[in-house]
Amino acid sequence: MKTIVKVSRRNFLKVSGLAGTGLVLGFGLASGKNKPLNNIFEPNAFLKIGSDNTIIIFSKNPEIGQGVKTSLPMIIAEELEVDWNKIKVDQAPLDSRLGAQFAGGSTAIKTNWDTLRKAGATAKTMLLTAAATKWGVDAQQCKAVDGFILHTSSNKKLSYGELVEAAAQLEVPEEVALKSKADFKIIGTAKKGVDNQGIVTGVTQFGIDARAEGMLVAVVEKCPVFGGKVVSYDASESLKIAGVKHVIQLDAISSTAGLEGVAVVATDTWTAMKGRKALKVTWDYGEGESESSEKLSKTFYENVNKKGEIALRKDGDPEMAFESAAQVHEATYELPFLSHVTMEPMNYCADVKENSCTVWGPTQVPGSVSRLAEMITGIPRENIQVNMTRVGGGFGRRLMADYASDAIAISKTIKQPVQVVWTREDDVQHDFYRPAGMFKLKGALNAQGELTAWEVKATTTSRYLFRGSDNSPHATEIFPDGFPAGFVKNFNMEYTPVKTVVPTGAWRAPGHNITAFVDQSFTDEMAHLAGKDPVEFRLELLGDGNKEMPYDDHGGPTYSTGRLKNVIKLAAEKSDWKNAKKGLYKGFAAHFMFGSYIAEVVTISLDENNIPKIEDVWAVVDCGIVVNKSGAMAQIEGGIVDGLGAAMFGAITVKGGKSEQSNFDKYKLIRMKDAPHVNVHLVDSDESPEGLGEISLPTISAAYANAIFAATGKRLRKQPFNEYINDTSS
Amino acid sequence: MATYKLNINNQEHTVEVSPDTPLLWVLRDAVGLKGTKFGCGMAQCGACTVHLNGNAIRSCSFPVSAVQGDVTTIEGLSANSDHPLQQAWVEADVSQCGYCQTGQIMSAAALLKRKPKPTDQDIDLAMSGNICRCGTYQRIKKAVHAAAEKGGAE
Repeated sequence: MKTIVKVSRRNFLKVSGLAGTGLVLGFGLASGKNKPLNNIFEPNAFLKIGSDNTIIIFSKNPEIGQGVKTSLPMIIAEELEVDWNKIKVDQAPLDSRLGAQFAGGSTAIKTNWDTLRKAGATAKTMLLTAAATKWGVDAQQCKAVDGFILHTSSNKKLSYGELVEAAAQLEVPEEVALKSKADFKIIGTAKKGVDNQGIVTGVTQFGIDARAEGMLVAVVEKCPVFGGKVVSYDASESLKIAGVKHVIQLDAISSTAGLEGVAVVATDTWTAMKGRKALKVTWDYGEGESESSEKLSKTFYENVNKKGEIALRKDGDPEMAFESAAQVHEATYELPFLSHVTMEPMNYCADVKENSCTVWGPTQVPGSVSRLAEMITGIPRENIQVNMTRVGGGFGRRLMADYASDAIAISKTIKQPVQVVWTREDDVQHDFYRPAGMFKLKGALNAQGELTAWEVKATTTSRYLFRGSDNSPHATEIFPDGFPAGFVKNFNMEYTPVKTVVPTGAWRAPGHNITAFVDQSFTDEMAHLAGKDPVEFRLELLGDGNKEMPYDDHGGPTYSTGRLKNVIKLAAEKSDWKNAKKGLYKGFAAHFMFGSYIAEVVTISLDENNIPKIEDVWAVVDCGIVVNKSGAMAQIEGGIVDGLGAAMFGAITVKGGKSEQSNFDKYKLIRMKDAPHVNVHLVDSDESPEGLGEISLPTISAAYANAIFAATGKRLRKQPFNEYINDTSS
Repeated sequence: MATYKLNINNQEHTVEVSPDTPLLWVLRDAVGLKGTKFGCGMAQCGACTVHLNGNAIRSCSFPVSAVQGDVTTIEGLSANSDHPLQQAWVEADVSQCGYCQTGQIMSAAALLKRKPKPTDQDIDLAMSGNICRCGTYQRIKKAVHAAAEKGGAE
């Protein structure tokens, strides 16, 4: 069965090729008509076919390690009917014709799925029509196979390259047929990353590898205390160093788009770093100096032990339910700030000229960079070119473009291209951290061991509040429709935001990276209190049949209990949940987020000192249709390792208004010996593709903590676990 | 400033830099070999790993004035970009963001020279100085074993 889809002609661009050499297709061009012929060579559309059979597919979104540079072109290639091994993939720059271009919220596949399929199918349809016209046959008798159009009855065959000139003369079809899933040859297979060879030979360019003629390098000193200001600076020693060219004070743009600081600009990176060491800056620390993790923790404790400022959800009569319960249980969880520490430190290049500006580097939000460039330089956006390099990790840090605004401001001042490079210390000390917070949970059971009431009192250093938005400070901190809401008759959720100078932002699976740990740990606590198997306890709560639960948040508007139960059952089955083996202990967790479903099982053993060792991890995921099997599994494997590492080791602690950690010596990341083997099962599904890049992270800390409880009877409610694992007081 | 003659990937390069300049920045900024990455600047993450006389060193914390002997970077690991480890890395689809992987491969190459058939524990130990924030360790381990099978100690 084929699906016929409407193609809006108004939004579809067709550009005939220069001297008939190609066909370029792109959606969303507002003024696409009568573009000059030389547009053919602009890398700003979805695909380009040359008369020499060169097929270039453009990847529109930033590649931050989530694999979109491979998976997005796979979707186009599927409908275009080309041999995957014969196409070339290029990174597109920022280009309004390509629609929204960013990396965030696990949305690249789901939001581009239809558009990219249509882009491929439309080109294929035009090539089919061109061939049929040439042969004087019905297009229905022709088919597209691996970059050729075949006339089945006569065995006539023309390559796409031979047809582009004729195809480029055709009207863009109003309707195109999309392939059915059963006919997919590329989607659903495992394709290797298109940049793999370049990466392993060191030739692939990351932002930090970009160079332009006459480019200088800048490092920027920022106030070590959050929110501080420059009083004065003495650059005399810096300027004595051979190679140091400029020392410039940078004005603040805002607390999120660029802090004030002093930039040292030199001929090369090391000289710029040395120049900064010799710089003397006098700071006004302001009120920030009094902030500390200890103080915040006290505030958190007060907040969860009083009525919350915002009532987020109330079902039934929780007060009455707790009073009449057979058993009531309370537990308090606490989570620290986390740093993003992408392996490629922040860096960005800018070349600001009189009336135009070119910028390039690693970002998740090229559109924000463009807006900032316009704001800083006054140059209109149509004269601002934003090029995208491969990004050495994002995890939400590069949703902020503060480091890019430094580069733009410096280049504007010195009238030369410049690359801003942050050291790891700059990165760790000037991050937008994962919010810290505390969650107090209370649950009630009746005499049958059924969950009758659930209460959560939460408090976090809200990132929306930090941004200056007083509206919905709970957004992406806590989710009123998340499990078990809707399955417990009496339910209460309260939230109290905490304002702090410590910058906070999105960190892989924002909010969920805390709430899934808390909810899935406490679900396990209640299951054990009820004397029930944790898997059975969850299935019992979810009930019989399939229900669409309202979910008024990203990934909604509803979620399916049937799909959630399916991953839970599959994970139990694959991990052999029910069969206990001597010396092995299992922990379970499951979650819905960003449109997808996951269940995870961690199996641990204990050494002679009762130190847990992870033996095995199982993850079962339903994200709808999977585009790239290898890339999808990589995201699940990597997210689990990342989530375990953060839970075991990760913590930014604040004292005197600054981060006590500044590099990997004190901000620990998981290394190979602690990274477990992960088994991934992707559910075969016909549902539309949903988010995958973040989903495996949040639940894993709960599954691990639940396994430790199964082994030792000790509940880990505070992260990082490794600090509390031998602590007998909590 | 001082002048240094360096043998990098079997080619002699003459650079004029300050003696305290870490080899990393000499490679990246003076010689233009950018496959060696900056990650931490204090020998904690391994992104800058290169070989000095066949041994893995962290070039971010190794001053150019201390370099004596042959330097090999990722660009010089194999003549045709086909070292068994590079092939195995592509085959196992190891890379996510990819930034740390040249350093990972250089550490693995030094290991295979010392120990052509490493155990899981040998790999854990030899790779303990290399961080991957994307969490690709499982595939790295698979790729190291695969390269060892194919005689990766070349």
